[in-house]
Amino acid sequence: MMEQEHLIDLSNISKEYDGTTVLNNINLYVRKKEFVTLLGPSGCGKTTTLRIIGGFEYPTTGTVYFEGQDITAIPPYKRQVNTVFQKYALFPHLNVRDNIAFGLNVKNHKIANASLKQKLFGKKTAEVSDMKKLSRKEIDKKVDRMLELVNLKGYGKRSVDQLSGGQQQRIAIARALVNEPEVLLLDEPLGALDLKLRKEMQLELKSMQQQLGITFIYVTHDQEEALTMSDTVVVMRDGNILQIGDPKRIYDEPANAFVADFIGESNILRGTMMEDELVNFCGVNFPCVDSGFGENVPVDVVIRPEDIMIVGEDIGQLTGTVQSVLFKGVHYEMMIDTGDTVLKVHSTVMQPQGSRVGISIVPYNIHIMHPMDEAAPEEEAEESV
Amino acid sequence: MYNVSLPWWAWVMMGVGLAVFAGLIVLSIRRNHGVKRSLFASPYTLWMIIFTVVPCILVAYYAFTDANGAFTLDNFRHFWDSNHAKNQMYANMSEEYASYITRGTVNVDTLLYSLWMAFLCTLICLLLGYPAALFMADKHMKIGATIVVLFIIPMWMNFLLRTIAWMSLLEDNGLINTFLKWLGFDGVQLMYNSSAVLLGMVYNFLPFMVFPIYTSLSKLDPKLGEAAQDLGCNEWRTFTRVTAPLSLPGVISGITMVFMPSVTTFFIPRILGGGNTMMFGDLIESKFLTEGNWNVGSALSMIMMVLILLSLGILRKADPEGEGGGIA
Repeated sequence: MMEQEHLIDLSNISKEYDGTTVLNNINLYVRKKEFVTLLGPSGCGKTTTLRIIGGFEYPTTGTVYFEGQDITAIPPYKRQVNTVFQKYALFPHLNVRDNIAFGLNVKNHKIANASLKQKLFGKKTAEVSDMKKLSRKEIDKKVDRMLELVNLKGYGKRSVDQLSGGQQQRIAIARALVNEPEVLLLDEPLGALDLKLRKEMQLELKSMQQQLGITFIYVTHDQEEALTMSDTVVVMRDGNILQIGDPKRIYDEPANAFVADFIGESNILRGTMMEDELVNFCGVNFPCVDSGFGENVPVDVVIRPEDIMIVGEDIGQLTGTVQSVLFKGVHYEMMIDTGDTVLKVHSTVMQPQGSRVGISIVPYNIHIMHPMDEAAPEEEAEESV
Repeated sequence: MYNVSLPWWAWVMMGVGLAVFAGLIVLSIRRNHGVKRSLFASPYTLWMIIFTVVPCILVAYYAFTDANGAFTLDNFRHFWDSNHAKNQMYANMSEEYASYITRGTVNVDTLLYSLWMAFLCTLICLLLGYPAALFMADKHMKIGATIVVLFIIPMWMNFLLRTIAWMSLLEDNGLINTFLKWLGFDGVQLMYNSSAVLLGMVYNFLPFMVFPIYTSLSKLDPKLGEAAQDLGCNEWRTFTRVTAPLSLPGVISGITMVFMPSVTTFFIPRILGGGNTMMFGDLIESKFLTEGNWNVGSALSMIMMVLILLSLGILRKADPEGEGGGIA
């Protein structure tokens, strides 16, 4: 029953470049009007996935369906999707207005050609031959509406290199949206903007998506961006999908240590599941809420830094020494050495460096997961902010 | 030997020019309390003055004077009517005889022929060069770089040598004719006509068309092509709507760099045209070296220069930023 709502289906998609696997048997569906984010570190295959949906790359194996139809081999110009490119790719020889009108003008040309062919050869050549050409006025009206939507009214006559990065960004979005695509693909569209502008654009994009009711597929390596904007987050790594879920679920219940580490900050510890709802790490048994792992099984334990409570030395489940303190604005980040390991703790209350503290963790804040077979994703950890 | 001596005021003018130049350098050092970056350009500026500006002034001087150094416009009249001098001579002798001498059109005709040949050469270079540049700039084509080298290698050889090499191909007993005869065909007259000259020009000037276009094409962001496809353009529309307009600066500078040397070329027509074809460059050269008439030669050169400057001005309009990286 959910099947009917699917707009795009990626089925067993693999992609290889010169023998290197970039995508490894990906399965993914996108529902109508959904805001899906492909999230992962650079080189995880998220952009390749987007390019396959856009038609700029063809998968080595697998099928792409659009509304149930196989579009794997269909070129980009015949797809009902439009893309906002990473560096915008605005046409430097056209002004803002002509950039936005580009798609409409091309469509008009196509229709004119098709109807000419129909007149000359008496056959319907393409599906466009049924459609009516847009008049100059209609195009102007649509472009004006787009300029208004992206808050750039009155910029139509400007050359695109006279615009700031944020403005170019908006033009790129307007240029794609004016074609009224079923799906808008966005490839790290905010990557080149500064933090403040990025946050503003995040909200604007989200409200545009809701206003227009268009499906957005969004690629980013910024986990905060993904959590802020998306209905569904797809976490990818090394050409594999690690987890698909809504932002809250991804954050609260990461499927494995990599997702936990990539989405927000976390302490990832090696532990042992003693029995159901009891886990041992740092040499201490902690009650938790997970079960079904078996007894005496090695597991990964993930604890968010903000979930570790600092209590009196005498009443803590663990004790440790404050190794370093960093002021982070809203909170302090403290590294606490428990002798066994060093825990990252976020707290609004500062403990002086060198002081002895107690540590306590609520059972449901301890996330147990099967250990990843690869080495712990240390180097990717730097990507998460 | 032709009289190269200049009037005293010409020497004075040149001396004043050099003095002003030296003064400007001194002033610049004083003003900036030391050496400024632009000062390093002064050897080049001096070079330009001595070998470009001064010769230009000399050409202008000769163009507007007669053999005795007196001001005259006769040299330009000579361009319009090559029988002008003869006409004047006979006009004094007999009215009736003078009426037999009509306007000599050889100079104007030669100019028109040169322009036509240069136009054809530029057109052929564009038609051959653009696809080649497109092919070379295509990043998916692995052999693109090889073709770039293949285009460059002939340029390492001397221009004259390259042209003469064509002789041994095209001659009556040349490679092509020998091959045709071996196949049992009759030989063909390949040399000493306009086509041979055109071939030589295209061969020599083609790289000057290919490289500016190649440069502007390889500077193109491939994402722009993808954006065009994304917005509904097939390959052909992507080319006409995005690639072609964005490579225009390269095309313009290619056209300039082929057209200008084509109009003024004088060696190729002599080698491959064998005297059956004369271009404006040959005409100027013969005025100077064969007839020894520096005044008329200078007038013809000036006409050529004005034409080139005009065409440069028009092309500069089309590519105001000079993005093509050419001399336009």
